Amino acid sequence: MKEGSFLEIPTQRKPILLFDDECAVCRHIAHWVIELARSKSGEDCLIVHPIGNDPELLRSLNPDLNIWDAYETIHVLMPDGSMKLGGEAIAEVLRNLPNGKWFTWTLAVSVLGFRPFQAMLNLAYSILADVRPLFGCESCGTPGAWVKPIMWALHWAKTTFGGSRHPSPTTHFTSLPTARRQPMPVTGERPPQAGLF
Amino acid sequence: MAGNNSNDSIQTVTGSTFSPLVLEGQGPIVVEFMSYGCAHCRTIEPVLQQVAEMVKPKEKFFRVNVAVEPELAERYEIQGTPTLMMFLDGNGVGRIEGPNPQVSSVLTAVSQPYES
Repeated sequence: MKEGSFLEIPTQRKPILLFDDECAVCRHIAHWVIELARSKSGEDCLIVHPIGNDPELLRSLNPDLNIWDAYETIHVLMPDGSMKLGGEAIAEVLRNLPNGKWFTWTLAVSVLGFRPFQAMLNLAYSILADVRPLFGCESCGTPGAWVKPIMWALHWAKTTFGGSRHPSPTTHFTSLPTARRQPMPVTGERPPQAGLF
Repeated sequence: MAGNNSNDSIQTVTGSTFSPLVLEGQGPIVVEFMSYGCAHCRTIEPVLQQVAEMVKPKEKFFRVNVAVEPELAERYEIQGTPTLMMFLDGNGVGRIEGPNPQVSSVLTAVSQPYES
């Protein structure tokens, strides 16, 4: 399994799973997939790669791939130039895992044009994507409406009974994990300790 | 949504281009400190593109990816993303953190420091 730079992908003959390397949950899942994707012969079944920060490099893999979209939803880039997103991407990953093929046929089962198992997988992905911020991930997106009350409750509990681990979910702002913590400045004003101007 | 393509109204600056483009730049310059993995930055991106187009003749817009340029983020004490900093002839004249992702709010935020 390769997990290197884009320059190490000379030609795309295997599906490429892109993951958000700023998200701890995504990193764990990606490493889990890397372990599972190694076949008995030692050959890699798919390439797992962080999204990174270069929009042009992503475009070189697929001209239709937008870096903002890549961070928003899981993407699998197919060798034929197509892209699988969300639950469909998960299904494609499972299809390519040596131990996942035995049950992935169920995902193709269609009842009057409706694929119930794929729909369940899509739903499971949506729920996982929504709850990622609950695990302390600050780069996992704006929490869904149904997750916000849980985040507020966790935030209240953390600030009441211990140190605050979760950022306030009430601003349009993602705190940098490396930044020194200061009181949030009033909108339109510089921080009191900025000392630059 | 622009991601550094030909429709992108906001140019990305790096540690090496920040000084010539921003600090030595003439007139009003707005710098967005952002990262592609930040959901709030994604939300505000189309708004910023729109505002950048609206103020284009008068103000220049740049972005700094804090994931790539942590030194710049540290130098300007960026607490989180998105943070907009307004420069006038190379001098900082204002900043706003996590602006409301509406055109009117962002337009006000990037125009107000230059009105006085």
